[in-house]
Amino acid sequence: MNVSVDYIAIFIQFLVGFGFVATTMVATHYLGPKRKTADKLASFECGIDSQGNARLPFSIKYFLTAILFVMFDVEVIFMYPWAVNFKELGSTGFIEMLLFIGTLLIGFAYIIKRGALKWE
Amino acid sequence: MNTLIYTACLGLFGLLAEIFNLRKYLIPILVLGLAVIFSLNLQTWNNPQTHFNGMLSDSNFSTAFSGLALFIMLIILILSGDFYTSTDDEKHISDYMAILMFTLCGALMMFSFSNMAMLFLGIETLSISLYVMAGSRRFEVKSNEAGFKYFLMGSFASAFLLFGIALVFGVTGTFSIDGIGNYMRMHADKLDPLFIVGMLLMIFAMLFKVSAAPFHFWAPDVYEGAPSLITALMSTLVKIAAFAAFYRLLSTCFVFALGKAEIVLTVSCAATLLVGNLVALVQDNFKRLLAYSGISHAGYMLLAIISLQGRTDSALFLYSVGYAVASLAAFAIAITVFKATGTESISGFNGLAKKNPLLAASLTMAMLSLAGIPPFAGFFGKYFIFSEAFRNGWQNMVFVAIISSIIGVFYYMKVIVAMYSKPANEFEIKPTFAYQMVIAVCLIISIVLGLYPGVFTKLL
Amino acid sequence: MTETVIQTSNLFMPTILIPLLPLLGFIINGLFGKKLGHASGWIATTMLLASFACSLFLFFNLPAGGSETVVLSNWFYFKDIFIPFAFLIDPLTITMLLVVTGIGSLIHLYSIGYMHDDEGFSRFFTYLNLFVFFMLILVMGNNYLMMFIGWEGVGLCSYLLIGFWFKNQAYNDAAKKAFIMNRIGDLGFLVGMFMMLFHFKTLNYDQVAIGALNLGIGNITIVGITLALFIGAMGKSAQLPLYTWLPDAMAGPTPVSALIHAATMVTAGIYMIARSNILYSLAPHTLDVILIVGTATSIFAAIIGLLQNDIKKVLAYSTVSQLGLMFAALGMGAFESGMFHVVTHAFFKALLFLGAGSVIHALSGEQDMRRMGGLGKYIKITFATFLIGTVAISGIPPFAGFFSKDEILATAFEHNKIIWGLLSFSSMLTAFYMFRLLYLTFSTSFRGTDEVKHHIHESPIVMTLPLMILAVCSIVVGFIGLPPVLSHTHSFKTYLSSVFAQSKTIMPAGHEMSHSMEWILIGTAVGLALVSIAFAYNKYVMQKQTPVEDEQLSGLSKVVANKFYIDEIYNAVFVKPVMLLSDLFLVIIDKLIIDLLVHAVAFITSQVGRLLRLFQSGHVGFYMFAMVIGMIVLLVAQVFDVLGFFESLYTHK
Repeated sequence: MNVSVDYIAIFIQFLVGFGFVATTMVATHYLGPKRKTADKLASFECGIDSQGNARLPFSIKYFLTAILFVMFDVEVIFMYPWAVNFKELGSTGFIEMLLFIGTLLIGFAYIIKRGALKWE
Repeated sequence: MNTLIYTACLGLFGLLAEIFNLRKYLIPILVLGLAVIFSLNLQTWNNPQTHFNGMLSDSNFSTAFSGLALFIMLIILILSGDFYTSTDDEKHISDYMAILMFTLCGALMMFSFSNMAMLFLGIETLSISLYVMAGSRRFEVKSNEAGFKYFLMGSFASAFLLFGIALVFGVTGTFSIDGIGNYMRMHADKLDPLFIVGMLLMIFAMLFKVSAAPFHFWAPDVYEGAPSLITALMSTLVKIAAFAAFYRLLSTCFVFALGKAEIVLTVSCAATLLVGNLVALVQDNFKRLLAYSGISHAGYMLLAIISLQGRTDSALFLYSVGYAVASLAAFAIAITVFKATGTESISGFNGLAKKNPLLAASLTMAMLSLAGIPPFAGFFGKYFIFSEAFRNGWQNMVFVAIISSIIGVFYYMKVIVAMYSKPANEFEIKPTFAYQMVIAVCLIISIVLGLYPGVFTKLL
Repeated sequence: MTETVIQTSNLFMPTILIPLLPLLGFIINGLFGKKLGHASGWIATTMLLASFACSLFLFFNLPAGGSETVVLSNWFYFKDIFIPFAFLIDPLTITMLLVVTGIGSLIHLYSIGYMHDDEGFSRFFTYLNLFVFFMLILVMGNNYLMMFIGWEGVGLCSYLLIGFWFKNQAYNDAAKKAFIMNRIGDLGFLVGMFMMLFHFKTLNYDQVAIGALNLGIGNITIVGITLALFIGAMGKSAQLPLYTWLPDAMAGPTPVSALIHAATMVTAGIYMIARSNILYSLAPHTLDVILIVGTATSIFAAIIGLLQNDIKKVLAYSTVSQLGLMFAALGMGAFESGMFHVVTHAFFKALLFLGAGSVIHALSGEQDMRRMGGLGKYIKITFATFLIGTVAISGIPPFAGFFSKDEILATAFEHNKIIWGLLSFSSMLTAFYMFRLLYLTFSTSFRGTDEVKHHIHESPIVMTLPLMILAVCSIVVGFIGLPPVLSHTHSFKTYLSSVFAQSKTIMPAGHEMSHSMEWILIGTAVGLALVSIAFAYNKYVMQKQTPVEDEQLSGLSKVVANKFYIDEIYNAVFVKPVMLLSDLFLVIIDKLIIDLLVHAVAFITSQVGRLLRLFQSGHVGFYMFAMVIGMIVLLVAQVFDVLGFFESLYTHK
C-alpha cells in the first residue's frame, strides 16, 4: 500500500523522538550522582516552608467567574471575522450580529440578576 | 428550522422571565408557546427544505419526530407545575425551564441534522442540558451523583463520537451526510479501514446515547438519582431523539456500509434485550425498573434500526409514540405515588387498587402497553418492528426479542400484582388535576393507536 | 394521512349517529348511572328513540334498491388484507335497523316500568344500551369482522343480562351456559372467517360474494365456509343441537327476553345467512342442511313447548320453534320469506314476552301457569294485547303471523311436500300450546294464593303503552307482504329485491303457484290452527283441566316435560368426560410437568438477572472500563470477523 510507504518518514521521526527521550531519561538516571537530604525532598514553594495541606477547599466563585469569563471572552472570536468582512456582509450581517450579541446580553443580564457575580 | 428557532426563543424567554420577575407566568406561557410551535411544525409536512447551507434539512421524518418531541416536552411542562413546588425549586424554576427548552433544541437538531457538526452540536446541547437537570436537586447526594456520573460518562462517549467523525472526515473530506453517503456509494466495494473504524466509533457513541448494552451502565444509576420528572424526560424524549438521530445517521450516510457494522449492531441488540429484561426482573426500585425497561425498549428499537433494509421509519415512529405515551403516563402516576408515600420502591404501590382504583387501572394500562399487550399502542409498535425485522430476514433476532419480551411481562406484572393483591399502605394517593389530565390524554392516545394503528403505519 | 374515504353524502350523519347514540347512552349511564337514578332509563330510551328516528330517515332517503357504504376509517392493513371500518346501508340493513331500534325503543320504555323498583335500575339500562350498540354494529357493518364484533358484543351483553340478578346462582349458571353454548357456535363463525380470509383475502360482503361467484356452484370451499358460518348461526339463533341455552336464558328480566331472546339477537343468525345469501345460493348442500336442521328444530321445540308450565319457558320454546321455521325458509332459498318472518315474529313475540312480563309483574313474580288463571278479568289491557299476539303467532288471518307463515308454508309446499307437512304440523302445535298458555293464564278462575290475588293490578302506562303499540303492529305489519292471491305487489319482497337479486339468478326460481292451490293451502293452514285452538279451548276452558304437578307425570309426557332430557344427555356425554379429562390433566400434566418447568425457568431467569446485576456496581471507573472492554471486543469481533461462526446465527442467510 502506498499509504504505509508515505508514513515511513513519520514513523522514523516518532522512533527517533521517543528513542531520544527514553535514552536520555534512562541515561541520566544512571549517570547522575544521588545525594538525598530532607530539604531536597520537601516540596518547593517559593523557598518558604509549606504550610498545611495543598488540597484545601476554595470558593466555587473562582470557578464560576472563570467560566463566565471564558464564555464571554470567546464571543470575540466571532467578531474578528465579522469585523473583517463587515462591508461585504452588509446590513444582514449587522442584524445577525446584533441578534447574537443580544442573545448574549440576555444571558449576561440573567447572570447579574441571578447574582452569580456577587462575591458575598 | 423555524421550529428550532422558535424553541430557542422560548428558552431565551425563560431567561428574560428571570430578569423581569415573570416566573409565575413562565410555565403557562411556555406551554402555550410549545402548543403554537407544535402547530407551526406541522407546516413543514411534505415540504422538505434545506437550511443554513446544508446544515439542517426538514423532512417528513424530522417533522414527525419534532412533533413527538414537542408533545413530550409539553407534557413534561404540564407535569412540572406540580412537581417543582419546594422553595428551592421555585427559586430556580426559570433555570429549569430555560434548560428544558434548550434540551428540546438539541433534540430538534438531532432530528433534522444533515451535517456531522450539527449532529454533534445537537447531541451536546441535549446532553449538557441534561447533565445539569440530572443534578438539579442540589442538596440530594443521589441527584449530584447522577448528574456527575452522567456528565463523566457522557463526555467520554462524546469523545468517541468526535473521534469517529474526525476519522470519517479524514477519509471522505466532508461533514455533510449526503457527501459521506455519496462517498460510500462510490467506494462501497472497497472501503477504507479507517472509515470503518470511524463509523464504528460513531456507532458506539450512539449506542451509548441510546443506552444499549454494553454501554448501558450509566442509565440505571442516572435514572434513579435524577429527579423523577427528569427521568421521565430522559426515558422518553432523550431516548427517542437519540434513536431518531441514530436512524437518520445509519439510513442516510452509512446505509451502504451497514454490513460492516452488522455484528456490532446485532450483538449489542441481543445483549441489550437480554440484559435489560433480565436485570429488570430483580429490581425493587420503580425508577430503576423503568430504567431497565427503557434499556430493553432500546433493544426493540435497535431491532428496527438493524432491519433497515425495509422502510422501518414508520415502525420506529409508531413504536416511539406508543412507548412515549405509556412511559409518560407511568411516570405521571409514579411521581404522584412517590410524592404521597415518600418512597420510590415498588412497595409504595401496594394496594393502590383499593385506595384509588382508577389510578391503579391507569397504571395497569400503561404497564400493559409497555409490555406490548393489545389493545394498546405498545402492542402494535412491537408487532410492526417484529414483522418488519422478520420480513427482512432477521428471524433469529426476532426470536430473541420475543423471548425477552415474554420475560418483560413478568416485571411489569410485578407492579400490577403489588397494586392489586398486596395489603394497602396508609398513604392517601390522589393525583392533581394536571396529572389526571396528562394520564388520561396519554392513555387515550395509547388506546386509540392500539385500535387504529393505521393512523401511523402509512405515515412516513 | 391515509386513503381514508369519508363520504359526504347526506346519509353520513344519520348513519353514524345510529350506533353512536346508544353508545353515548351507555357511556352516560355507565359513568353517572348511580347519580342519575331513574333518569337513566329515560336517557337510554331517548337515545334509542333518536336512533330510531335516524333509521327512519335512512329508510325514507335511501333510493329504492340502492345501497350505500359509509367508510369511517381504514381499520387496519395486514399484508394484502385490508379491513375497513365501514357501514353498509341497504334495504336489508334498514329492515333490521328499524326492527332493532323500533322494538328496542318500546322495550326500553316498558323496562322503565318493569324495572322500576330494582336496585340495579341504571345498570340494567347501561347493559341494554350497550346491547343495542353491538346489535347495530352487527347489522350495519360491511364486513364479517364487524359482524363478528357485534356478534361477540351481543353475546357478552346477553351474558350480563341473563345473569342480571347475579345473586341467584342458578341465574349465573344460566348465563354461563348461554355464553359457553354460543362459544361453540362462534368457533364455527371464526373458522368461516378464516377460510374466507384464506381464499378470498377479504371479509367485505361484496368482495367475498365476488370471490365466491368465481368459484362456482357447489364448490367445496363455499360449502365449507357456509357450513362453518351456519354453525355460528346455530349457536346464536338456538337451533338443534345448540338450542338448550335459550330456555335457560329466561332467567334474565323479561324485557331482556323480549329484546334479546325473541326480537333481535337470536335473529342474528338469520340475518347472517340472508346477508351471505349469494354464498349460500352457491352451496345447495348447505341449504339442505339448514332446511333439515330448521324443520327439525321447529317440530322438536314445538313438542317440548306443549308441556311446559312456566309461562316464559313456553314462549322460549315457541321462539326456538319459530326460529326453526325461519331457518327452514332460508334453507329453501326463500330469503325474503325468512326475513319477513323475522320482522313479524319480532313484533308479536316481543308483544307476547312483554305481556308475559306484565302478567308476572301483576302476580308479584309468579311464572308458573298452574298458579294463574282467570286473569283476563283483572288485567284487561294485558289480556287484550296478549290475545292479539297469540292469534298472530297462531297464524290466523289477517294478523301478521299468518302472512309470513303462509308464505313459508307455500314455499315449502312447492319445494318438498314432506317438509310442508312437517312445518304445518309444527304450526298446528304452535297454535295449540299458545292457546293453552292463553287459556291457562287468563281464562277460568284464579288458582294462586289469596295473597297474590289481592295484589293483582294492571301495569302502569309506560308498560301498557308499548303493549298496545306492539299489538297494533302485530295486526297491521303483515300487510307489507300480502300473498299473490290477494295482491300483485309484495311490498316487502320488492323492497328487499335488490339484496337478493343475484341469488335469484343463481337458484332456479319456482314456477308460479296457481291461485286455487294457494287458497287450498291457506285454508288448510288456517283450518289446522282453528282445530288446535278448539282442542285447547275444549281441554282448558270447557273441561277446566290444569297441568298436573311435575311428580305426577309419567311415560312419554314426562320425557317431553323434561325436554327429552337433552340437558342431562349433554351433561353425561360432553360435560362429564371433559371434567374427568381435565382432572387428569390437572394432576399429571399441569401439576407435575408444567409447574415444574415453569418454576425452573422462572428460577433460572431470575438467577441470571441477579448475576448480571452484580455488574451494576455504581463505580464510574468500572463502567468506563466495561464500556471500553465491550467496545474493543465488538471492534475486534467486527473487524476481524471472529464471530463468523456465530454470524450465521444472527444474520439472515
